[in-house]
Order: sequence, then C-alpha cells, then structure tokens
Amino acid sequence: MKLKSRLYAVWLPRLILYVFAIWCLFPLYWIFLTSLKTPVQALSRPPMFWFEPTLDNFAKVIQNPDIWSYFLSSTIVAGGSSLLGLLIGAPTAYILARYKFRGRGDFGFWLLSTRMTPPVAMLIPFFVMFSWLGLMDTHIGLILAHVMLNLSIVVWLLRGFFAELPVEIEEASALDGDTYFQTFWRITLPLAMPGLISVGILIFLLSWNEFLFALVLGDSAVRTVPIGLYSFIGYQTIAWAELSASATLLIIPIIIFILIFQRHLIRGLTMGAYR
Amino acid sequence: MSSQAIKTTTIQREQKKFILLMLAPATILMLALTLFPFLVSLYLSFTDYSLIKPDEVNGIGVKNYATLLNSPDFWTSVRVTLVFTISAVAVQTVLGVGIAALLHHETRQAPWLRVIYLLPMAITPIAATFTFRLMFNPSLGVFNYFLTSLGFPPSAWTASPEFALFSLILVDTWQWTPFILLIVMGGMAALPPEPEEASAMDGAGPFRTFFWVILPQLKPYLALALLFRLIDAFKTFDIIFVLTGGGPGILTRTLNLLAYKHGIEFLSMGYASAIAIIMLIFTLFVGQIFLRRLNLFDLKD
Repeated sequence: MKLKSRLYAVWLPRLILYVFAIWCLFPLYWIFLTSLKTPVQALSRPPMFWFEPTLDNFAKVIQNPDIWSYFLSSTIVAGGSSLLGLLIGAPTAYILARYKFRGRGDFGFWLLSTRMTPPVAMLIPFFVMFSWLGLMDTHIGLILAHVMLNLSIVVWLLRGFFAELPVEIEEASALDGDTYFQTFWRITLPLAMPGLISVGILIFLLSWNEFLFALVLGDSAVRTVPIGLYSFIGYQTIAWAELSASATLLIIPIIIFILIFQRHLIRGLTMGAYR
Repeated sequence: MSSQAIKTTTIQREQKKFILLMLAPATILMLALTLFPFLVSLYLSFTDYSLIKPDEVNGIGVKNYATLLNSPDFWTSVRVTLVFTISAVAVQTVLGVGIAALLHHETRQAPWLRVIYLLPMAITPIAATFTFRLMFNPSLGVFNYFLTSLGFPPSAWTASPEFALFSLILVDTWQWTPFILLIVMGGMAALPPEPEEASAMDGAGPFRTFFWVILPQLKPYLALALLFRLIDAFKTFDIIFVLTGGGPGILTRTLNLLAYKHGIEFLSMGYASAIAIIMLIFTLFVGQIFLRRLNLFDLKD
C-alpha cells in the first residue's frame, strides 16, 4: 500500500516530467546526431541511431568563411540593439515605476501595444522607409528595427525592477541636494544593475534569434545567424550531414549562452513571473 | 504668495521637466519607428503603391479593403490563422498547466528540468525549424520511422494536405508549451501555501485541490501567458515560412504570410498594407480587452 501510493505520488509524475524533457531535447539531440554521421549514414533508411561518429562534417564546414561572418553580424546587431534598448528604455521604465502623471495609463498601453503589432504591419513601411533613407542592408538599420521590436519588453521588465527598489535611498539622496537626474544616475541605476543585466541578456537573445526583419532588411549584406541557417535550408539538397554540422556549429554558442544565463532568461521570458 | 508655496511650484516644475526629459528618448524613437510607419502603412493601404512602379502612387480609396474582403484567399487565410492560433494555444495551455502542476511538487529534479524546458523557446527558432524539417522528411525522417515502427502508415507531414497545419501546430507546441509552463510554475511558487494545505486537510484529493483551490488563484498568470501566446501565435512567421511556405497550395497560408507574399514578394505595398492594418486592428482589439479589463500591468493612471 505504502509502495503503491509512493508510485502514484512520486514516480508517475516524475516519469511524465522525464518524457516531456525528452520531447524538448529530442530535436536538438537529432541534429547533433546527424552532424556526426557520414553523408551515406545520414541518408540511411531507417535512420541510424548507433554508428561510429565522425567529425569530418565539422572539419569541412569550419572552412566556410561565411559562418564566421554570420557570427560577427549577429554579435554587432544583438549587442548594439540591446545596449541601445537599455539606454533608451531604462529612463522611461524608471518614470513609469516612480511617478504618477496624467496620461500614464495611455502611454503605457501605447508602449505595450507596439509589442502586439504584427511584424508585417511594421515591416512593409520599414521596407519603404529604409529604401528611401538608404538604411537597407546596414547594421544600424537592423539595430534600430530590433530596438523597436524589443523596447516595450525592456520598459515593462525594468519597471518591475525599479518599483521594487526601496524609495528611501532616493529620498535621502534628494535631501542631500542631488537633482532628480543625479539621483537616478548615481543611486538608482547602480542598484538596478542586476535587473539591467537580466533584461540586457534577454533582449540580446531575442535580437540574436529574430528572423523576419533580419531576412528582409539585412538579407544580402548583413547576414545574421538565423539568415545564414535559412540560406542552408533554402536550397533543396540532401547534404544533410554537412548541413546538420553547420547548424550545430551555429547552435552551440547559443546553447552555452542559454545554459549560463538560464536564470535571467527564465525571469525575463516569463515577464517577471519569477521574483 | 508665501515662500513655501513658491518653493512647491518650483519643485513641481522641476519634476515635470525631469519626467518629460526622461520619457523623451523612448517616446521620440518609438514615435519615429512605430507611429510613423503605422501612418505610412495606413496611407499606403488606400493607394495602389507598388515598388515595381515606385514613382506612381494613386489614391484608390477603400478599393484594397473591398478587394480583400471579397477575395476567397483572404478568408482562407483568416480561417487558417484562427485554427492555427486557437488550437496551438489550447494544446499548449493544457499541456503547460498540467506539467507545471507536476513540476510544482517535484523539488529535487525541478532545477535542471526547468533548464531543459527553457531550451525550446530560447534556441534560435530557425535552427529548431531546420531539425523539424529533417525529422518530417517523408522517406528518411525519424518521425515516419517511429510511426511505421508503431504500425501506423507513414505521413507526408508538412507536404500533406491533411497534416500540414497539424505539423506546424506540433512545432509551435514544441517551442512554446514551456512558456506557459514556466509562467504558471512561477505563479504557483508565489502562491501562499495555506489554502492548499487546508484543502488537503479537508480530505480533497490532489486533482480537486488543483482545480478548485490552486487554478483560480493562478488567473492573473494564466491571463498574462494567454495574452502573449495568442498574440505571438497570431503573428507566427518563421516556422510556417520555412516548413511549408504556406503550402501545400494555400492550406497553411496565414494572414502574416499572405501580407508577406503580397508586400515583399509581389511588391504591392498598398494591398499588403491593407492586410497588415486589418491584422493590427484585430490584435489591438484583443490586447485592449486583456490589458484594460484585467489591468494586468497595473496601467491605471
């Protein structure tokens, strides 16, 4: 009896959780497995699960200079857009957290609604505007587009962090004769540093992964990692082993990034449900 | 006027100036990058502007909208979009909430399971899509291998008229169930333990406790998760574009892909803008309901 209830209470739920974990991991496992096959093994029917792994595919694809340029573009765009996003978003988040003013609700709703806009609605005018301004196929153009996409997230998450900082320290700084801006810059921002880092990590990832705008606004000259991956899948080919190696090579850094920063990412992606 | 009153008004003026200056950068940038494009889009939707003949812009009134509303393709896209969005989010919600409930009582393994569950939604979507393409392949893919091993007939997955939309929902579910799971789990961790304990003391089983005691308290978290999932599913692009491109035929062509096709591929910006504006009205409407009614983000003045 004791054993049976323990089976239902502990091991059955645990089994379901493990099955779900396997489901989450399986695609990543499969692409990694395929990247270690020879071209012939990759095409075997039925698919092979056990075989002598080879690193030949990786040796071949690291010689492709395009791969390194994808990393470079993505780093510039994701780095630039997350720094700019924080710089512009933090002051707004601070005001929304600390001050009540007329129109605050409408202003907040407007900012959030930019997150709800279907990207195509923005993409078409961006396409037209960027063609006029000569911003097509430039890093700066893509950085601006990504700031636009992610600014609402920056403001909403940081607002939560600022709201939780004790207001007394700021009041003390004001009594010392600091201006509002000095208080914000010298007292609040350093205290909010953990929040700034979390949000920065999250929007770095979102920018790194973004596909549609990068495809249309940066395609030929500024190729980010997702666009590079897409160009591999784009043509109908059966060089699966080699393609999987390229894809694996492009995924590994982002998996490491996710594992290192998992706490920040969970908090950010779930809009602060974890506090 | 007393000196005290003068001092207060100066402070108020200082404060007002500070607020305006702090809000300025985000406001200016977002006006330039969202409101201006929106106005351009709105204007273009009443014209026949095409990048094939960029020097010619004629106002044609509501003709784009009229053509659109009378085109069967548009209504197919509306139906596909709604079926995709609603079924994907429904499946994800049931799965996500169920697994969150199990994970809540799992103390020892929870930390590393959580990391694994984070991967599908954090990994570059195009990379995941690429793997699914590999696995969906009708003759060599691992999915058909599993199906036939279990005695089922093989499927053409993304290429089959019956299963194409299902395949896309499957990928979206893989990618986003963890989102609902993690939000709900965060919500459960923040609940006070007393009601649950009281319910267990009264002899209610774990299922009854969950449905009648825990789930009602999770309403704000669920509303938040649903709002973001509905809006994101509605505008899904990557996986559909790469896995089916809207096909076979137009069976998986959502509104998003329809707008992309007309705008970026056919370059008829006017017509595509009209589709985008209709989508925008729809999302803003849904968003308004969630945000204003439920006041999810404490947006009251």
